[in-house]
Amino acid sequence: MIKQNDLLVIGAGLAGLMTAYQAASRGQKVRVVAKGWGATHWHSGCIDVLGYYPVDATGPVVDLKTAVAQLIADNPKHPYALVGLDGLQAALESLQALCAEAGYPLHGSLETNWLLPSATGTFRPTCLAPETMIAGDLHQNDPMLLVGFKQMPDFYPNIVAGNLNKQGKEARYVMLNLPMLANRRFNNAVLTARMMEQADLRTELVTALKPHLGEAARIGFPAFLGLHQAMMVKDALEQALGRPVFEIPSLPPSVPGMRLHQIFKRAIEQHGSYVYDGMEALRAERENGRITAVLTEAAARPRRHRFEKYVLATGGILGGGITTNIDGEAREVVFDLPVSAPDSRLNWFRQEFMHKEGHPIYRAGLTVNEAFQPVNGHGPVYDNVYAAGTTLSHCEVIRERSFEGVALATGYKVGISI
Amino acid sequence: MPERNVWEAITNLDELEAGHKQAELTLDNCIKCNVCVTACPVAAVTDLFPGPKYEAPQAGRFRQPNQPPTDHSVDYCSGCRVCNMVCPTGVRIAEINARARGTIVQQGGFSARNRLRNNLLGRPEMLGRLGSPLAPVANAVFNSSVGGWFAEKLLGIAAEAPLPKFTRESFKRWVKNHKPPATATRKVVYFTGCSTEAYEPRVGRAAIHVLEANGFEVLVPEQNCCGLPLLSNGEFDAAWNYHQSNIDKLISYVKAGYVVVGTSTSCTLTLKEEAPELLDFYTDDARLLAANTYDINEFLVLMLEEGQLNTENLRPIPMTLPYHPPCQFRAHRVGRPSVEIMSIIPELTIIESQAACCGVAGTYGYKEEKYQIAMEVGKPLFEFVKGVDAPLSVCDSETCRWQITHGTDKPSVHPIELLAFAYGYPAEPPLVYVLPH
Repeated sequence: MIKQNDLLVIGAGLAGLMTAYQAASRGQKVRVVAKGWGATHWHSGCIDVLGYYPVDATGPVVDLKTAVAQLIADNPKHPYALVGLDGLQAALESLQALCAEAGYPLHGSLETNWLLPSATGTFRPTCLAPETMIAGDLHQNDPMLLVGFKQMPDFYPNIVAGNLNKQGKEARYVMLNLPMLANRRFNNAVLTARMMEQADLRTELVTALKPHLGEAARIGFPAFLGLHQAMMVKDALEQALGRPVFEIPSLPPSVPGMRLHQIFKRAIEQHGSYVYDGMEALRAERENGRITAVLTEAAARPRRHRFEKYVLATGGILGGGITTNIDGEAREVVFDLPVSAPDSRLNWFRQEFMHKEGHPIYRAGLTVNEAFQPVNGHGPVYDNVYAAGTTLSHCEVIRERSFEGVALATGYKVGISI
Repeated sequence: MPERNVWEAITNLDELEAGHKQAELTLDNCIKCNVCVTACPVAAVTDLFPGPKYEAPQAGRFRQPNQPPTDHSVDYCSGCRVCNMVCPTGVRIAEINARARGTIVQQGGFSARNRLRNNLLGRPEMLGRLGSPLAPVANAVFNSSVGGWFAEKLLGIAAEAPLPKFTRESFKRWVKNHKPPATATRKVVYFTGCSTEAYEPRVGRAAIHVLEANGFEVLVPEQNCCGLPLLSNGEFDAAWNYHQSNIDKLISYVKAGYVVVGTSTSCTLTLKEEAPELLDFYTDDARLLAANTYDINEFLVLMLEEGQLNTENLRPIPMTLPYHPPCQFRAHRVGRPSVEIMSIIPELTIIESQAACCGVAGTYGYKEEKYQIAMEVGKPLFEFVKGVDAPLSVCDSETCRWQITHGTDKPSVHPIELLAFAYGYPAEPPLVYVLPH
């Protein structure tokens, strides 16, 4: 029996998961190996495509499609230029279809950005947001009430309300005392989210909250409204409170991010492919310009994975896909692919911390061709290696607010064409 | 890594992975993202353990040589290692916790009764040697309510805990009378583990049959407990002796070119990683033994990948069974070999559990003060197993099997027992009772 081993994806952030999902749903046998849980558990659970363009613009992007087209015209090497506007749109629609099927719809489109409140009360431009968050849209002026819990220290509604007020948005806050949450001395977002799925905690919450509702037309909560049944929790609260409710992403770990992680993982596994945690890719074996195996860290000796093709979706410096040494050399950790980065540590940063043009090291990453194969001066480094996500160069995902968009679009493109 | 057949041992030290980092040195990698806290099955059910991040990288910063322990709560870490698996920055959380417990033991931080109890639970080999010859009597005593009451009151062993039953015929005695097939073309060493030796020899018989069906002569040399139960109770000095003794007994086989495979997945993990890492035990022989030890399904799946596994004429098992990959199996970081191996059995459908842990974590769930926590941790798994309409469950680790049976009233078998049946070996109880005819 010869086993079918088509594709090894390294990294289980949005880029790796999207690649794996697309390839697996097209009949490929895929294995995803990840060092641990990261990107999905840290991000907001929304899909940022382009928040600010140019990146030093004073206001967020309004006409998203036009702004992305402009970015593509200005930066022909940007990952969005490689996938094209159509590719980006298809990636977003694919994710929306997947999430809708899982009963957790994501709303929005390339027409425009939502403006959602952040955990510090700033305006957060984002393209797709789960249904549990969209009632917080700040294009609307309906007065809001922001709810925190005395027993849950990861969310400060007073800060959110205070900053929103300063920006002309009507918002009040209330800090509720929920004795049921006091059953636990150490609360965290996930424990609270699970408890929210129980009717008795919701009843206690609604009873405590009702006297404070006043004129509020919508109610904001930290993003703990259920882990597996977020829509049920949201609907139940809306019914009991008689007005829309919404979530605001808070400190990591991110419950909305975990929901996306689970949706992807389940979909990949339904297609007979798998996602493994705790498998850090160490190095690769090569022969005649091809990678023949990737070795992952394991007890006592590495585990060898032999596949036809390999996708690198390990992220940039933050994600661990690129590392640097004391001399300022940047290195890609698995295949030792060439990284475009400032050649000296002295050139990593500009003098001013908040410089308008950002810091050069933030653009460190791999250069790829149109097929997403990492290249050196001569062409693809390996015939069967591809890269997706924020390990790519020529973008600055944090300042652009394009992190999830770049991850999904490049993952989609690699996944459908590989 | 040069190419070689799976069953050929690495005997050249130069081929071993270089370097290892002391667990505590990884704590600086922690970025406080809390991913481990959300994944920890123990912290999910009790405040007695605040969570991996608080214990290993945070309290760890305050643990200094010759200082009193900072936190007794670290003893509530079950050692399941789920935290290690999800940590995005490579902190060896479970190992840091286990070593912190070792220090507390060394400093006399446990009551005399608990240490006595932990030392009893930590010595399944000794219990087996005492219990097996008197199996009917010992089983009657241990499983009686009076015996349970005494165990709890005198020793702190939970009265309801799922104590296994001693076997009448030890595995060793069975092996002595077993005739290997004359057709063997290669050899492999079998690491028995205390549970197969004293409680479930059927697992060892199945393993030997499977290996023989793949052309191996199976050697079962003199060996002893891997020492894991002592390691997870912080009894490091005694564990050191066990590990040294196993090295002494097995290393000549490794040097002769044979690898070691085992069906007790936590024993093989101990030989591979736990003992060396927790004890800082990195002699050349320890490293050679580690590098040449395999969980049996890890071993078989590597053969399968190379097209060397016998997959001809397997007997079908027309059943749908729930399978739980134990934490200690996942901690090998080799994927899901048992599922892949079971997938070659015709007509067998395996439904894999997504539950984090069964709760028992070796000896943890046997302790009076932790029994309830273990049952709470295991609840989602018990619900899953009960939810599959099947007369038994499948799991690679013995204490997990006993715990799942305790939580579901359904028997549980090792995957190798299913494979042995598929290869034509007659099924033994409890499998034989449930196979369709």
